[in-house]
Amino acid sequence: MKHQRKGSVEKQPYILIVDDDPDILEGILTILETQPYRLATARDGKKCMELVQEELPDLLILDLLMPRMDGWGVIREMRNDPRFARVPIMILTTVIEDASRRRYELETGMAMEVQDYIQKPARPADLIQRVSKLLSLDASKHAER
Amino acid sequence: MRKDNRMAPPLNNQVSARLLIAERLGQAEIFSDLLQEDLIAIAEFCREETYQEGETILVEDRPAETLFVIARGKAALEKKIQIGRHSTPRNAAIGYVGPGKITGFSVLTTPYIYSTSAVCLEPTRVIAIDGPSLRAYLQAHPSAGLKVMENIASLIADRYRNATHTLTYFLSIVSHELRAPLAAIENYLQTMHAGYAGELTPKQERMLQRSILRVTDLSALISDVVDLARLRPEQIQADFEWFDPGEVGTESIEDVRLAAAEKGIKIRVEPPPKFEPIVGARRRMRQVFTNLLNNAIKFSPAGSQVIFRACYEPDALIFEVEDEGPGIAEEDLPHIFTDFYRASSAGEIPGAGLGLSIAKKIMDAHDGQILVENLAGEAGVSGTRFAVVIPRTLQTPEMRRRPEAVVGDGY
Repeated sequence: MKHQRKGSVEKQPYILIVDDDPDILEGILTILETQPYRLATARDGKKCMELVQEELPDLLILDLLMPRMDGWGVIREMRNDPRFARVPIMILTTVIEDASRRRYELETGMAMEVQDYIQKPARPADLIQRVSKLLSLDASKHAER
Repeated sequence: MRKDNRMAPPLNNQVSARLLIAERLGQAEIFSDLLQEDLIAIAEFCREETYQEGETILVEDRPAETLFVIARGKAALEKKIQIGRHSTPRNAAIGYVGPGKITGFSVLTTPYIYSTSAVCLEPTRVIAIDGPSLRAYLQAHPSAGLKVMENIASLIADRYRNATHTLTYFLSIVSHELRAPLAAIENYLQTMHAGYAGELTPKQERMLQRSILRVTDLSALISDVVDLARLRPEQIQADFEWFDPGEVGTESIEDVRLAAAEKGIKIRVEPPPKFEPIVGARRRMRQVFTNLLNNAIKFSPAGSQVIFRACYEPDALIFEVEDEGPGIAEEDLPHIFTDFYRASSAGEIPGAGLGLSIAKKIMDAHDGQILVENLAGEAGVSGTRFAVVIPRTLQTPEMRRRPEAVVGDGY
């Protein structure tokens, strides 16, 4: 689902938010809609990968426990595909960080490469600040090239 | 009269098939001390079956009509778990059975309903024993019946001992099912409270703030109950790593900030001149500090002060939490670290009586200590001081594996 604001949206960073819980999505959208971003949402990992192929997001906000394809699966696909490997990923989940890192390592034999990890619930001010930090890191990386 | 050749294989084949089944039955744990003649008699109402990987041998809650002895392969015993109406039912494996083991012992115990499902993990061959026939045989041959029932009793006792393991697994699922809706509620509350869903009247703001506090309490309570089953020392020690204790202390203060503000309690921090990294389970240590701070805040009068202090000794790092509450009654002191114990002074103060016992378990896993004393009631001053002693000699799993790699002081 695309949530576009009117006006000059071309240059606005594009954020894809993936969570199977519609209430979490609405809460996160309500917070991030106050910022100059273009937002899209997906309810599972498969849909997420479809949207990523349509347009590369500047940031992926990702839940872990989801139907069809879970968040670990999404990370694995993103990191194994050179087209998507550089997209910053912020995990937003109820799963504690060490447990989910361990699970990823056990399943893939590799370290879980994500740029930020928030255990739900996210405090709005914190979320906004961390999103903007990830986006600016990304922008500076692009500027270097 | 026409002779039907298709009716059965030649007699000697039939006999040898039965002997083969009897032999396999004798290898099964519950039939191991039966006489050969019993085994041959039981083999009469047995048949061999094979299942592919992923196929179900028997289903939980269905009438138990067949007992299965695994001859080859492996199956998982699973129980169905569903919490609430909205969550997806899940199957949790609570045990595994391989060659010589049985599944479906419910055919011998009333109400003759399977207590688990059994799902094959690999191609599996079983001997299926007809339940009613087996019951009838054992009734007619009490000495065989007694042996089988003794073996069943010891098998059930074994599975019962495994119950802690099962409980842990159940709880991790329960925990997620309970936390998911709470996270959604917390998220909405925080969003509204911060004004993202429109302006609030002071009254609305206050109600939302109270709701956030209550939901936070509830979510901590769920974590506590779930943790009880998970806090085994080796699990905690597996997470040992180097960390900055000052950073963890700061996070704990952040955890209790709202609760302190609510009661107008000031947290005075007395750090050491410099924090040195130590080895421990970082997240668990934060839990210890947060529990002690929360405890202090709960028992403190409004507007009072809680002191959070840290200092280094040569072989230990010590954290202290001091409050100005009523203190703990002498008779309660020996019990406050016990699961679900609530001190007599706890009265109306909410809590399950788990915070301190969890802190104690975590400290035990660190070979550390958690100490408590009442502050001397001089000039009407009361209060309680908790001290946490963390040894500075702990090792990460990596260091334990390669002791020579430890870099000594002065390098």
